[in-house]
Amino acid sequence: MRYLVRRVGFLLVALWAALTLNFLIPRLMPGNPAESMMAKFHGHVNPAAIKALEVAFGINNHQSLISSYFEYINNTLHGNLGLSLSYFPIPVSTVIMRALPWSLGLVGVSTILGFVIGTALGAVAAWRRGGLLDSVLPPVFIVISAFPYFWIGLLSVWFFALTLGWFPILGGYTETATVTWSFSFVGDILWHAVLPAFTILLTSIGGWILTMRNNMITVVAEDYVKMARAKGLKPRRILWQYAGRNALLPNLTGFAMSLGFVISGAILVEYVFNYPGLGFTLLQAVQNEDYPLMQSLFLLITVAVLVAIFISDIATALLDPRTRSSS
Amino acid sequence: MREKFKGGLAALALALVASTCVLAPSVAGASGQVPLNLDNEQGMEWACSFNPFLPTSSPYSVGVTYETLDFIDALQNAKVTPWLASADAWSNNDKTLTFTIRSGVKWTDGKPFSAADVAYTFNLLKKYPALDSNAVWSVLSSVKQVGSDKVVFNFSTSAVPYFYYVADQVPIVPEHIWSKIANPVTDPISSPVGTGGYIMSKCTPQNIQWTSNPHYWQPGLAQVKTVNMPAFLSNNTANEYLATGQSQYGAQFIPNIKSYYVDKKAGNSYWFPPVANVSLFPNLTVAGLSDVAVRQAISYGIDRAAVSKIGEYGYEPAASQTGIVAPTFSSWSSSTAMKSAGSGYDPAKAKALLKADGYKLDSSGVYAKNGKQLAFTVITNGGYSDWIASMQVLSTQLAKIGIKITVDPIASSNFYADVYAGKFQLAYNVETGGPSPFYEFRQWLYSKNSAPIGQAAASNWERYNSPAVDKLLNQYGATTNVATQHSIMNQLQTIMVQQAPVIPVLEEVDWFQYNTKEFSGFPTAKNPFAQPALYNEPDWGVVLLHLKPLS
Repeated sequence: MRYLVRRVGFLLVALWAALTLNFLIPRLMPGNPAESMMAKFHGHVNPAAIKALEVAFGINNHQSLISSYFEYINNTLHGNLGLSLSYFPIPVSTVIMRALPWSLGLVGVSTILGFVIGTALGAVAAWRRGGLLDSVLPPVFIVISAFPYFWIGLLSVWFFALTLGWFPILGGYTETATVTWSFSFVGDILWHAVLPAFTILLTSIGGWILTMRNNMITVVAEDYVKMARAKGLKPRRILWQYAGRNALLPNLTGFAMSLGFVISGAILVEYVFNYPGLGFTLLQAVQNEDYPLMQSLFLLITVAVLVAIFISDIATALLDPRTRSSS
Repeated sequence: MREKFKGGLAALALALVASTCVLAPSVAGASGQVPLNLDNEQGMEWACSFNPFLPTSSPYSVGVTYETLDFIDALQNAKVTPWLASADAWSNNDKTLTFTIRSGVKWTDGKPFSAADVAYTFNLLKKYPALDSNAVWSVLSSVKQVGSDKVVFNFSTSAVPYFYYVADQVPIVPEHIWSKIANPVTDPISSPVGTGGYIMSKCTPQNIQWTSNPHYWQPGLAQVKTVNMPAFLSNNTANEYLATGQSQYGAQFIPNIKSYYVDKKAGNSYWFPPVANVSLFPNLTVAGLSDVAVRQAISYGIDRAAVSKIGEYGYEPAASQTGIVAPTFSSWSSSTAMKSAGSGYDPAKAKALLKADGYKLDSSGVYAKNGKQLAFTVITNGGYSDWIASMQVLSTQLAKIGIKITVDPIASSNFYADVYAGKFQLAYNVETGGPSPFYEFRQWLYSKNSAPIGQAAASNWERYNSPAVDKLLNQYGATTNVATQHSIMNQLQTIMVQQAPVIPVLEEVDWFQYNTKEFSGFPTAKNPFAQPALYNEPDWGVVLLHLKPLS
C-alpha cells in the first residue's frame, strides 16, 4: 500500500512539473504566433492583418505571466485545450483526434510487432546458443540499430520507393483518393504504411532481441529449467512456458515505456515519410509557433509516458513480490 | 507554392524524385462531367473552417462562396467590375463613398441579399477588430444603410486607395445567419452560406469539394459542376499530381517547369504574371547602409537578369529600381525615372559612386571608409531554396564591385520576427502590393507603417522616414484625379532611383499552371481577367466562374 501511495505521489509531482515546463518553454521561443502566421502567407495578405491576428490570437493582451499560467492550469484540468492557431479556429482536441489514429495505427502496431518478433527471436537465439540464428541475428541488429533512423528511412525510400517503385514515397494515403471505409482505401492505407512500419521494425527489433537473449541465457541456467528437462517435457514447452515467461519480466517495463512513446508518434518516421500522425503535427505546430497545439501534444506525450511507467510499476509489483518490499 | 527546403532531407528527396510515385485515379464527378481538381500545396491538412474574415481560412471561401462589392483586377490597371454593388460614387471631397447594392441576388439558403447585409458586415468588423484584417476601420468613421438599396461609407480621413480594401477585399456575409453566431472570431463556420457561384458541399481534412450554385445570380457562369481541392503535405506529390494532368489548375512552384510539367502532358501550360517586387531592404539605421551612395552602388551592382536565371529558373523577371512592376503596371512608369536609372546593371558606375563618396578598396578587395568595410549580412527566408540561391548569386555579383555580402538563411518564423523588429542589415523579402503600384510604394515608404528598431513594423521594414514622401503619399490618398495620381507616382519613382530606400531585385509572380484539354477559359497574358493563383482572393473564385468544361 505504501508503495502504491509513493508511486501515485510521484506521478502527481511529475505531472505538475510537466505542466509547468510545458507552459514556460514555448513562451521562451523568439517571435510570436501572429508573426509566424504572416510568414506562412508569404506576403499574400495585407500587412495590416497582423494587428487583426494578434487580437484574434490574444497576443499582447497585457495579461501577466502568472495569471495566464493559472488560467492555463485551470483550462487543462477541465480538458479545455484551447484553439489551434495554425488551424484557427479549430479546437486543439479536434486536430489531435485527427492525427491520433494514424500514429496509433502505424507506430503502435509496429512497436507491438517489434516487441513480439524481437522477443521471440531473442528467446529462440538463446535457446539454440551458438546456432545459426544466434551467431547472425544479434551482431547484425547491433549494427543496424546504431544507424540513425532517418538514414535508414531515406535509404529505404530510395531503394523500395524510387528505384523499385514498389511503395509510395510518402504520405499516409493517396492524398486525392476518396476517404471511405472501402476495401480499396484501407488497402491504400496499408500500402502506404508498409515502408514506415518496416523501418520502425528494423530499428527497434534489435534491442528486444538482445535483451531477451541475455535474459534467457541466465534463466536457462536456472534449476527449474533443468528440472523441467529432467521431467522430460518437450523442449518447445520449456522454452515458452518455463524459461520465456520469466525472462520476459524485465523487458515488460521497457515495453510499457515504448508504448507510452507511441503517442509522440515517432517524429522522425513521420517527418521522413510525411505521415499525417502526431509527430508530423507536432513538427508543424513548432514551425508555426502554434502554442496551444504544441503544449497539448507535449502534455499528451508526457502523460502517456508517465501513465505507462506507472502501470508497468504496478504490473511488476503484482508479478514480482520482491519489488514491493523496500530493502 | 514555393519549393520547401526542409533541411538536407528534402533536398535529397528532391534530387531523387524523377518520375515516380504512383497515384490513384482521381475522384469521378457525380454529374458525369469531369471534376476540376485544384492543386494548392499548403503542407497541412484542411482545417475545414470557412470564416471569410480570418486569413487562415479566407482563401477557401472568399470569391468562391462569399463575394465582395466589386471585383478589382490588378492585372488590368485596377479595372473595377461591379459585383454585389451595381454602382459606387465618391462625394464630400472624396470622404464619403456610396454604394448602390444590386437587387435580385440570393444567398445560397434562398433568402434575399440586401443592403442591410452590407451595412451589417462592415459594422461586424468594427465590433470585432480581430476580423478586420484589412484595417478598414482605421479610416472609416461610419457605415450606414440609406434607403432600400444604398450603403454610405464615411471616412475620417481622405483614404481613396482604401476603396480597394472596402470594395474588393471585404466579403459580405448574411446578417440572418451571422447575427446568431455567438463568437464570429472563433466559430469555424463549417457550412458557409454566401452569394457566390460555388457551394462548399463536403470538407474532410483530405479534400474540400465545391459544387456549382444552380441559382447563381450571374447566368451563364459557374459551369464547372464539381471542384476538388485535395490537401497536399509535400510539394513533390502536389507537383506530380499536376504534371500527370490529374489536376487541371495549380498554384505550384515547379523546378524546370518545361521538362517536368509542360512536356509531360498535352495541354499543360503556365503563366506567371508579376504583381509585386522581391526586394533588398537595407536597414537605414545601419552605418554604411544609411549612405545613399552605398545603396545606389548595390542597386547598380546587381545583374538582376542573372539572379533571375540562376536563382529562379527565369520565372521571376528582373525588377527595376523605379519600383514599377513591368509589364503589369507599365502604364505607371515614369520615363524620367527610367532614364535616370539607366540600364540597371552598371558595375563601373557602382564603383565610381563608391569612390566619389570617399570609399577606397582595401587589401582584401572590399571598399572601406575610415577603416570600416562595406561588409553586410543579408537575411532571407530559410524556407525558400530559390531565395537562398538568388542571394548567393547576388553575393558573388556584389563581391565584384567590392561589397561583401554574407547570406544568412533563417527559419521562416524567426525571419519575420527579425524583419518586423528591424534586426537585420539587409533583408530579402516581398511586400503584398495591391492593384496599382501605389500600394507597394506606400507599404515601402510611408513612415507611419514603420516603428523604432526593436518594435514590430508591419511594413516599411527598412525604417524610411521622409516628410516629403509622406506628404506625396497622403496627397495621392486624397485624390481621385488620375493625372494627379500619375504625377505623384512619377515623383515617387524618381525618389526610388535617387535614394534607393528599397532595392527591388526580382518581380514576385503568381504561380499558375493549367491544362486546357478538359476545361477552357483560363486567364492568359492576352486575357488577364483575374489574378490566377489559388491564393489570390477573390480572384481565383472569379477564374472558377469563367471556366467551361469541354467534355
